[in-house]
Amino acid sequence: MVTMTAAPGQQSDRELVERVAKGDRAAVRLLFMRHHARVYRFVARQTGSETMADDIASEVFLELWRQAPAFEGRSEVSTWLLGIARFKALSALRKKKEVWIDDDAAAAVPDTADTPEVAVMKDDKATALRGMVNALPEEHRTVIDLAYYHAKSVAEIAEILSIPAATVKTRMFYARKKLGEALQAAGFERGWP
Amino acid sequence: MSPQENTGNMSRRDELEALLPFYLNGTLDGADLAAVEDWLATDPGAMAALEEAEAEFSGTSAANDAIRPPADALSRFSRTLDAEAVPARASAGSALARLWSGFLAIPASFAWAAAAAAVALVLVQTAMGPGGRGGPVEIAGWGQPDLPFALVTFKPEARIADVAAFLSGQGATILSGPASGGVFKIGIPVETAADYDRIVGLIAAQPFADTVLTGRKPGDGG
Repeated sequence: MVTMTAAPGQQSDRELVERVAKGDRAAVRLLFMRHHARVYRFVARQTGSETMADDIASEVFLELWRQAPAFEGRSEVSTWLLGIARFKALSALRKKKEVWIDDDAAAAVPDTADTPEVAVMKDDKATALRGMVNALPEEHRTVIDLAYYHAKSVAEIAEILSIPAATVKTRMFYARKKLGEALQAAGFERGWP
Repeated sequence: MSPQENTGNMSRRDELEALLPFYLNGTLDGADLAAVEDWLATDPGAMAALEEAEAEFSGTSAANDAIRPPADALSRFSRTLDAEAVPARASAGSALARLWSGFLAIPASFAWAAAAAAVALVLVQTAMGPGGRGGPVEIAGWGQPDLPFALVTFKPEARIADVAAFLSGQGATILSGPASGGVFKIGIPVETAADYDRIVGLIAAQPFADTVLTGRKPGDGG
């Protein structure tokens, strides 16, 4: 779990949010430095647009500035920020009419990464997997990203995506199944599925 | 995996495979952690599965790390932040925000249920009070996991009475919230996509609604 554990003498995320709630702009900047890159990448993966990611990631931290008094610590600060980012990304996509929130349309978010075939030609399984992860439908790729990259638990992913925990598990199952099938199709050995 | 969770037609092996990423990221605990550890200790094929998950871990990390945020992001954000006024804090929040801030102090396991129950109470009060429609308000969808829903944020100036009156008039209810970003999950107990779209459109057109996102529609799966 990514909790940005504070080093000795360093304030925790929650302590910084408490400072933000009291109007401390320096605390917002500290949280920005800790979390901006991951929020930015999360939104970039959601939207397929680094321009949108730039705008939305900044909006997320402005939202932190505005809503800090409402944060009661029921979830990690990083989970809270990703939840805000998810909603703002979907809202922005909706406004641009690029995507609808239902699962079928969400899967159609354009992907500009290497195709699996191109990645496989690099003859490296990790590199191939990078392309295959990029090529997953959005609903599956997001669960993979949140677990592997953002180190979120089942419950935290459920909170961020506003879906039941059981759905997180089934999406993870199908995401990994698709990755396994893609690996097999590319000639890599795999014991499952 | 908890018995009440519905993971469809997944076999036990499939369930364990689905848990491996969470084993790797260190967030697994309780019965799920014990099950994965037992599997890894007793099934010769389990370690191979773990290696597959580790490869996925590396591939996913590389895909994300390849995205580079702009180098001047902090300085641009700082300028925007400095231009922002200090928001009105707790004492000056909207009625809706004050209502929900009270629920946020409730222990997590009860908070969402309490929030929805409180809205139910407000809905009943609204319906029974002067100007209400009279008669009890049915809290449609309570406990129905497949209920169609939309995700909604309200404007800061939204009044709880306006929200409650409108939702009760449509048979809609606040199922939970606020989640991150002040998002509320609104249950919409209708049977057709057309009815769903109509009500979502009405919500979006209300002056108290900020953003409305389509969630589960009638007939959608999980």
